[in-house]
Amino acid sequence: MQHQIEFGPSFAWLKVQLAPNEMIQAESGSMVRHTVGLQMDTRLNAGRKAGFFAKIKAFFVAILRKFLGGETAFVNDFHGPQGGEVVFAPSVSGSIMHQQLDGNRKLYIQSSAYMASTGDVDTKLKFGGLKSMLGGEGLVLQVCSGTGDVFINSYGGITAVPVNGTFVVDTGHIVAFEESLNFKLKGVSGGLKSFFLSGEGLVCEFSGQGTVWIQSRNLSALVGWLTPHLRP
Amino acid sequence: MEFDIRYKPAHTLAVCNLNPNEMVRAEAGAMVSMTRNIQVEAAARNKDEGMGKRLLKGLKRMALGGESFFTNTYTATTQPGHVTFAPSLTGDMIVHDCQGEQLIIQGSSYVAAPDSITIDTQFQGMKGFFSGESMFFLTATGYGPVLLNAFGAIETLDLNGEMIVDTGHLVAFTAGINYSVIKASGGWISSFLSGEGLVLKMQGQGRVYVQSRNPSEYGATVGAMLPPRSN
Repeated sequence: MQHQIEFGPSFAWLKVQLAPNEMIQAESGSMVRHTVGLQMDTRLNAGRKAGFFAKIKAFFVAILRKFLGGETAFVNDFHGPQGGEVVFAPSVSGSIMHQQLDGNRKLYIQSSAYMASTGDVDTKLKFGGLKSMLGGEGLVLQVCSGTGDVFINSYGGITAVPVNGTFVVDTGHIVAFEESLNFKLKGVSGGLKSFFLSGEGLVCEFSGQGTVWIQSRNLSALVGWLTPHLRP
Repeated sequence: MEFDIRYKPAHTLAVCNLNPNEMVRAEAGAMVSMTRNIQVEAAARNKDEGMGKRLLKGLKRMALGGESFFTNTYTATTQPGHVTFAPSLTGDMIVHDCQGEQLIIQGSSYVAAPDSITIDTQFQGMKGFFSGESMFFLTATGYGPVLLNAFGAIETLDLNGEMIVDTGHLVAFTAGINYSVIKASGGWISSFLSGEGLVLKMQGQGRVYVQSRNPSEYGATVGAMLPPRSN
């Protein structure tokens, strides 16, 4: 499979050329165009080896995610006997990055940042602490493991920050981070007062060694700006 | 006259350089800035059209084509001058050089063109209803440059054969291409669950302009986070 990320960093999209019977899995709604020889199969985003109960659990979690984070429950698999070309785009403006997983490391990806993956990359849902669900600020994460390519999109530009020690990031700006990092969600200087008054909402404190990818725009900030402009 | 496109692809600005007595017609609201020697005529009449026909065409364009009712003309007087244009949403702009063939433009993607290009609306029939686009497209016929805008970056695709394009990602295409509306995948339920719904099958030989973002997807993502409207 070959891929090109075009039109970055503002309106990046992902162009993929698939070999015969090669498959790519992508989040629902992201397809822009594809050659006629490719077929699309839709399935529940439950992890590849999921049994019956895991599927049911995934279904309820997906419904929950839909209400909390607007994520969708389904993913699409694209493949064809002669291969072909397919192009994917995220819904907001921003960049796309490619990460290679070799089975040794896991990536924690902000749920809305997951775009597509290949090979036997598996994605499992993880909540960044139940209390983080307050005010819609919480962290809903996809844990990616296995071998293959992962494509991640962002709102704004993406920059990689190597962490060695501690590093604090506003939760709305987190794209992804490596499993080797520990993370803790809190108000910006601890305590309820700072949570409400700082205007910062929740932040995530990373400690240890690893890379954090952050995005240069915050979707909740856009929503906060738009809301007073809406007609009553 | 020539268009100079700057700051692609996110916050694109189109500079239209005009020689003396050259004129460009643009949709209302698109003008950002212009040199002092440009003469503006608002809601200008098209050369040979009477009042009634002009009114009807404007209404058709507004109600059906997704464009505004008024177009303005910008004419350079005795000196060369320039006008700059920008669309309301962030995104790319591109100039399509029309050489007699017809260019079919999706709703809100038309910005400006000289009068050597005739802009009209084209009824898409029932497939327009299902295509997710408007039921009317705009057509540009003639010789000269046509300035288009998009939501996202614009990809220029020279098609000879077939391609499946998601509704909402189509900007414009030349008349040698036909399109039909089909299900995204085999069954109705999977098409709905896939998030794609209906897609367009483009067939033929010509040029297709595709945009790298989908306004409805963007609206749905941001809209889901906005407070509910209190009615």
